[in-house]
Amino acid sequence: MTVAVTPEVFRFVQYDAAEIAAVVEDLLGRLGLAGTRVALDVDETTPLTRVVVHEGDPLRIEAGSGALEDTRVPRTFSPTAAQVNVGRVLLRRRDRSGAAFAAAPDDAGLSLAELAAWDVTCVGRLARAGVRVHADRWRYNLRNRIGFTDATDAVFDRLWATDDASWFDIAAACGAVTP
Amino acid sequence: MRRHLPASELARDERFHTITMRDRMADPRAGRGRFEGDNGRRSNRLTPDLPSASEAARSMMHGIFVGEIQALEGAGRTCFDFDDIPFALKLDMARQAWDEARHVEISVKLSAWMGTEIGQFAENTVLFEAACSADPVMRLAGVNRALEGLAIDVFTTMKAFGELAGDPFLEFCEDWMLADEVTHVKMGSDWLRRLTESDPQRRAAALEFQSVVDKLFSYGGTRSDSDESMIGLARRFRELAGFTDDEISHIADVSDEALSEAKARKQAVRAGAGA
Repeated sequence: MTVAVTPEVFRFVQYDAAEIAAVVEDLLGRLGLAGTRVALDVDETTPLTRVVVHEGDPLRIEAGSGALEDTRVPRTFSPTAAQVNVGRVLLRRRDRSGAAFAAAPDDAGLSLAELAAWDVTCVGRLARAGVRVHADRWRYNLRNRIGFTDATDAVFDRLWATDDASWFDIAAACGAVTP
Repeated sequence: MRRHLPASELARDERFHTITMRDRMADPRAGRGRFEGDNGRRSNRLTPDLPSASEAARSMMHGIFVGEIQALEGAGRTCFDFDDIPFALKLDMARQAWDEARHVEISVKLSAWMGTEIGQFAENTVLFEAACSADPVMRLAGVNRALEGLAIDVFTTMKAFGELAGDPFLEFCEDWMLADEVTHVKMGSDWLRRLTESDPQRRAAALEFQSVVDKLFSYGGTRSDSDESMIGLARRFRELAGFTDDEISHIADVSDEALSEAKARKQAVRAGAGA
C-alpha cells in the first residue's frame, strides 16, 4: 500500500481510513501514477471541499472532509467524490511538471475562470480513466466563469476531449491570450 | 386516504435520501476546521464571484427542488386534511398545489441545466414538518408565511445570481417562480387574518409559530440582511406579499439573532479547539 490516510479513526464523519486508502490507490493506478507514495491528511472537522497538494516524498495531500463526502448522505464517504476531487489536483500537479504548463501561475494565482477551464481538462481525463463524473456539472461551472454562450460550450467540448492541453489552451479559453 | 401524514412517511423513490433538521444540527463539523471559507471573503452572499459559487448554487437549486415538492405536498394535504375550513381556502390551496407542481418541473429542468442529478443532495424535510400542524391556521403561518416567505428571499437571491452570471434560464425561471411565491404569501396572510378575526389568541399563537419557523429557516445565519448570510432578506418583495414593515423588521431581528448565535457557536468551538 503506497497511500497512508490520517486520521486512522474518524470521529466527526463516518469514514474508514482503509477504504479511503484503497480508493486513492486505485485512482493512482488509473492515472498512471501507481507506486507514488501519498500521505492523505483529511481534516474531518470541516465540511469544506478544498484539496491541497504539498510536494515531497511522500506526496502530502490535505483535504477537507467535504471533498470525500457523499452529498446524498451527509458525513458518509463517497468513493466517487474522493476520486474526482483528489484526481483533479493530482492531474493538475502532473500537468505542472511538463513544459506545456511552465508559464502557469501557482494555484493561488489562478483566476476562477482559469481554474474552471483547467478542471474541465482534468475531469475529462478522469472520465476516460473510468471515474464516474457528471460532465454537465463542469460545463455549468465553466459557463459561470466565462459566459453562457455557444463559444463557451465549444471551449468546454475541446478541453474535455483533450489529453494534452497546455497552459496556452487554458489561458486562451479564458480570453487571457489570443490563440 | 389517510389524513395528517407525518414527514417520515412522505413518498420518495430510491434516489432520495431524507434528513431532518435534527440531523443537520447534529453535524459536529460546523465552525471547525483548519481551512478558512472562501478565501477569507467578507461577504458570504451567494454571488458568482464566490469560489464555491457553482457548487453552492447547484446545492441551493436542489434545495429549492425538494422544497417545492414538500410545498406541493403541504398545500395538497391542507386541501384534504380538514373538513371544517372554508371551501375558498381549499381552492386557494389547490391553486397553490398546482403552482408548486409547476415549480417542481421547472426546478428539475434547472437542476439538470446546472449539472445536478435528482437526489444528488440530501433532502431536509423541515419544510413539510411545518405543514404537519393539526391547526390549519398554524399551517398558513408556518408554510405560507414563513416557508413561502423564505422562498421569496431564496428566489430573489438566485435570480440575482443568474443575472450576475449571465445565466438567462436561471434568471428568467426564478423571476416567474418568485411571482407565484409572492401570491402564496399573500394568500396565507389574508387567510390567517380572516380565520383569526375573532380569535386574537389563536392569531398570536400562529404568529409565534411563524416566528419559530422563521428562526429555524435562518439556522446557522443562512438568511439575513447581513452580507455575512448567503441569502438576503428580500424586503421589497415581502412588502408586495403583504408583510407589514413591523413584520419584516421582526423577521430581520430573528434572522440577525440566528446569525449572531451561529457566530457565537463558531467562536466557542474554535476557542475550545485552541484551548
